[in-house]
Amino acid sequence: MVDFCPDDTAELKAWRMEVREFLEEAWPRGKVFDYDYDEDPAGWAEYRRFWEKVGQKGWVALTWSKDYYGQGRTAIERWILNEEFNAHAAPSYPVIGLAVASAILRVGTHEQRRRHLKGIAEATVLWGEGYTEPSAGSDLASLTTRADRDGDYWVLNGAKTLGTAAHHCEWMSVLARSDPNSSKHNGISCFLVPLDTPGIQMLPLHNMGGGQQNQTYFENVRIPADCLLGEEGAAWNQVWFGLGGDQLDVPGPVLDGHTMRIARMLGEIIHYCKTTRRGGAPLAEDPVIKIQLGELILGVEAIKLAVFESYSNVANGGIGGRGALSSNLNQAFYKEFWPHLGQVCMEIVGPIAQIQGGKWAQMEGRVEKYFRTSFGNHAGGTAQLKRMVAATRGLGLPR
Amino acid sequence: MAIDLNFNDEQKMIWNTAKEFFQKRCPPELARKYENSEAEFPVELWKEMADLGWLGMSFPAEYDGLDCTFLDVYGIYVEAGRTLAPAPLLEAIAIGGSLIARLGTDAQKQALLPAIAAGDKIVTLAMMEPEGRYGAEGVELAAKPSGGGYVLDGTKLLVACAGSAERLIVAARTGGSGEDGVSLFLVDPKAAGVSLERTRNIGGYPLYAVTFSNVSVPASDALGPVGKAWDALNEVLMKAAVLQSAMVVGAGERVLEIAVGYAKDRVQFGTPIGKHQAVQYLCTDVAIAQHTTRLLTLHAAWKIDSGQPFLREAALAKASASKAAAKMTFAAHEVHAGIGFMIDYDLQLYTLRGKHWEFNLGDARHHLELAATQQLAAA
Repeated sequence: MVDFCPDDTAELKAWRMEVREFLEEAWPRGKVFDYDYDEDPAGWAEYRRFWEKVGQKGWVALTWSKDYYGQGRTAIERWILNEEFNAHAAPSYPVIGLAVASAILRVGTHEQRRRHLKGIAEATVLWGEGYTEPSAGSDLASLTTRADRDGDYWVLNGAKTLGTAAHHCEWMSVLARSDPNSSKHNGISCFLVPLDTPGIQMLPLHNMGGGQQNQTYFENVRIPADCLLGEEGAAWNQVWFGLGGDQLDVPGPVLDGHTMRIARMLGEIIHYCKTTRRGGAPLAEDPVIKIQLGELILGVEAIKLAVFESYSNVANGGIGGRGALSSNLNQAFYKEFWPHLGQVCMEIVGPIAQIQGGKWAQMEGRVEKYFRTSFGNHAGGTAQLKRMVAATRGLGLPR
Repeated sequence: MAIDLNFNDEQKMIWNTAKEFFQKRCPPELARKYENSEAEFPVELWKEMADLGWLGMSFPAEYDGLDCTFLDVYGIYVEAGRTLAPAPLLEAIAIGGSLIARLGTDAQKQALLPAIAAGDKIVTLAMMEPEGRYGAEGVELAAKPSGGGYVLDGTKLLVACAGSAERLIVAARTGGSGEDGVSLFLVDPKAAGVSLERTRNIGGYPLYAVTFSNVSVPASDALGPVGKAWDALNEVLMKAAVLQSAMVVGAGERVLEIAVGYAKDRVQFGTPIGKHQAVQYLCTDVAIAQHTTRLLTLHAAWKIDSGQPFLREAALAKASASKAAAKMTFAAHEVHAGIGFMIDYDLQLYTLRGKHWEFNLGDARHHLELAATQQLAAA
């Protein structure tokens, strides 16, 4: 039955209130911190403390099995939790950790679950991604980082790039080619790598949005054999799908940090238009600006509804994320929308939007900051890649 | 389940029946036949739809209706849009019938609703005026008090099926400005002083210019409160805008099929053109516009059925549908080049009707502004 209301019972409404009350205590309402675009050390410390508190509540692992530090709660409770985090503008959890946990829960050994899930659940151990390589971006399957077996060890050699916030992380999930004679999707394995292992060197890459990504070099990095996650050579299907390669569809999609960021920008520009006068009249009364705002409202709404759709697909036993036509269409839409939102907000605020801070800046420079971050829309593949996948796999056009 | 975009079993059944019915009864040749035809629409088709119970579905049971919900009828409009069914569902049922059901006195409802449900009579709204302005401000046709009733003077354009309508529902101004002072009157199109002129139009629809010269209307033919009809009228029109969007959703699926089918079959430079990414992106343009509109339209429909405020959501759905109607057909023409430009090829049927849908009940700019107004007021 068509329904867009997540909290349709008294229990779920009470759960929403519980989350809301916790957030009022735990994070200053409206305070913005984007882990992928903020490098302020004090901000990072506050951010990590906040998520440790959430972890202590058991809410990072809300839906995981009780056997592994989870609470065994439902997907809809997780949905509601995220909605409240969005409404409060609480910062989001580093997404890779959740993806790694999801993969470990699916294909990890009992020992790996005992060893890693506690730190992720309590937010005391952060995880970075080691997937993209300098020569393997959209075509990730062309990756060349090698993993060679040497007795009870694997030896990693290669380079990973664009690792968001990896310098804040203690561990990294690394995709490497474990079968030197393989090509493409076969022969790739996933390794759980402690970043303090000798032979790992990390160099910063500073992005336009003010965040730090990283280039990570592996030179004869020896890791114990039990760091292999899932079957040897099968990482493409076991780990990559349902992980960084697509949406996190276990146990169900949720409104995520990116959606939160665009919803917040929309709310702020609307507030700005209501409270700012130009030429003697509020911006909100300018018909051109109203139409521009209408377009932004439409875009944000469509992106939110796409998440509802994914959730519904998964809840009804469909494939939701992975490769579904609707998912690729939605991703193409939002990836193109982010920079569009930044552009239109810049147009609305006008020339003064260039000023980044200080007393002459509009909205404390937040439009300018959002505009810069909006070009970070390529993780997991560009809009064009999503269109290619939608056209060939979804619409059946020839490859 | 609390987040679910699937229709319930009964709704799926109605939808499937509609899909089969329209596929069978409304091939593209039927749409072509009724393009600019003297007969406004095929009466036998209309009667069959009445027999299926579709015309009175949303009416109250006491007036031969079925008390159905908005989502119950949703699929019928999607399928009518997909097949370009030459039937005034939107005009005579979603707008005309709904206005009678919403605002009519018991006598007015008795006189019209059962006959509409049976497919014997239709009523149609006369609202748009020569200035071409949407919303309450666009209603300027004068209704002046005279004797115990009113006298209408002015012209309405784009009035659907006026030639076969039992009654026109005329939006007129009895005073005030903007939303205040908008009134509705039931007028016999054959009454003295009413003249009809069929206007050829882009979609070949039965649209009329209707001129009222000193037309007397008794007070008992007012539909709803005089001077205070806007809120109800607006609500009915915004609901109809969601159904118009549903029609675009259905049509969009067909346009996508046509474009993808051609891209797979058409060989140039020794390869199907659909292998080129430039062509693939055009196809995904169609798919994205259709898909986005589908989500927004479904959401608005759910808001309506769950009794929540829905004007913002309806405006977003129609804004998306209006944009999609233009964007999807444009992209499909780019895929086709010359053949899509030919009258014998079906794509143009969607392109030209799509332009009517784009404007009908408000274009994208109108609805984007409405959505912004709603959100600015709420934030």
